[in-house]
Amino acid sequence: MRPDRFDHDKETRQDLKYTFRIMEIPMIALKPLATFALMMSVLAASALAQVPATALANITEGQGTITSNSNPQWDGMSELVLIPGASMLGAAPSSMALYLGFTGGSEADIGNLVLYTTARGSTVITATKKLTLNKSADPSINLASTSVCPIQPVSSTNPCIIRLDTVAGKLSPLDDYYFGVYFTLDTNNEKIAGAGLSTAQGALTGWYLYGDQTRVGKDGALPSGNSGQAPFFLLYVANQ
Amino acid sequence: MKTVCRFAGPTLMMLAILMCVVSQASAAASKAENLERGVIGPVSANVSWSGYSSLNLVPGAGLIPISSTQTAFYIGFTAGATADINNMVLYTTARGSSTITAATPITYGGVSNPSINLASPSVCPVVEISDFNPCIVRLDTAKLVLSALSDYYLVIYFTPDDSNNGAVGATVPRFSMSSMNGWYISGDESRLAVGASIPSGNGGAQPEFLMYVMND
Repeated sequence: MRPDRFDHDKETRQDLKYTFRIMEIPMIALKPLATFALMMSVLAASALAQVPATALANITEGQGTITSNSNPQWDGMSELVLIPGASMLGAAPSSMALYLGFTGGSEADIGNLVLYTTARGSTVITATKKLTLNKSADPSINLASTSVCPIQPVSSTNPCIIRLDTVAGKLSPLDDYYFGVYFTLDTNNEKIAGAGLSTAQGALTGWYLYGDQTRVGKDGALPSGNSGQAPFFLLYVANQ
Repeated sequence: MKTVCRFAGPTLMMLAILMCVVSQASAAASKAENLERGVIGPVSANVSWSGYSSLNLVPGAGLIPISSTQTAFYIGFTAGATADINNMVLYTTARGSSTITAATPITYGGVSNPSINLASPSVCPVVEISDFNPCIVRLDTAKLVLSALSDYYLVIYFTPDDSNNGAVGATVPRFSMSSMNGWYISGDESRLAVGASIPSGNGGAQPEFLMYVMND
């Protein structure tokens, strides 16, 4: 009986040894796995580094020279600006930033900011999106502050360019977009002036109307009046 | 052999990831993008096209640098129930030249002489078409890579003595803001051979019919 037991013990020891040997194999295999994991990380990092969204890029051609001519009195007025899908440059980035230019005034009191979407060439609004500055859709912009407009006073030679909050989402070349801004009916807005109306207007066209034209709902008709002139306030449309 | 087996698994994994990345990139590339700045803003109408050729210049100098393997032309109608097209062609010239170096047939529904049913909601979703509701028709995509070193002329010839074409209206851009321009001539200008000259008459007006040139 003893020899049998002894043999059994021996067998068990051999099994254990074998088991340990099996466990050793994956440990050895970890080395090539780690190498490939590292390679894959490098490849992924390289692919991510090539994403162009990190660089500032125009989504459409913005305005060139700043003239600031023929500004109306903006209190109680809305400006609408067409950002045409037909003018979009290359692949649409995943975010958009609109830049407004001011050449006069000490405070701009905005009542509302909006971005309307229509099908390309249509006047029926298919979507509306609230735009904001510092997360507010009705901001007051202190144009006399050097932290807002570094070069004082603002003028056509020293325009103050304000970037609205970046909007997530892609613009489609199959749609048209209309930026709308409404200036509250107050004395501050009597003195403000837009930087645009450039003779080099890029792809942007704008017009202005009395009253708040920024609250038209989905399926509503876009307010008419676009005569193809350069916008006053919207200067640039970029990815950030 | 053992080493090969050990490498095979991770290699396959890596290939799968790379294929996934590549397929996502090509999916993004196949989305519609502009090849040229198209018609911007509202349009008006120019009616009665029976027996006329509409010529539209797509300048190489206006090409937006995106990678594309094909070209799609979009044409706009503002009036009419049926447009009877006799022939459509795209001429190529060297940039700034008027000598045709290539002539490529352009089709709609697989033919170069289509009748487009403008009264059908499947063709023109908003009925009735007008200046305010133009019908934008995408022609078949052409396996053609546009080059910035060439100019291109899309020519559409409307069947003569055709009452349908008497009522057809073209989109006429109100703003001169696209990179393209066009003109029209009485008679068939769509069957010129390589070596012939582009018909004269381009006065720099905005294109009639041609609204957009895209990759899809």
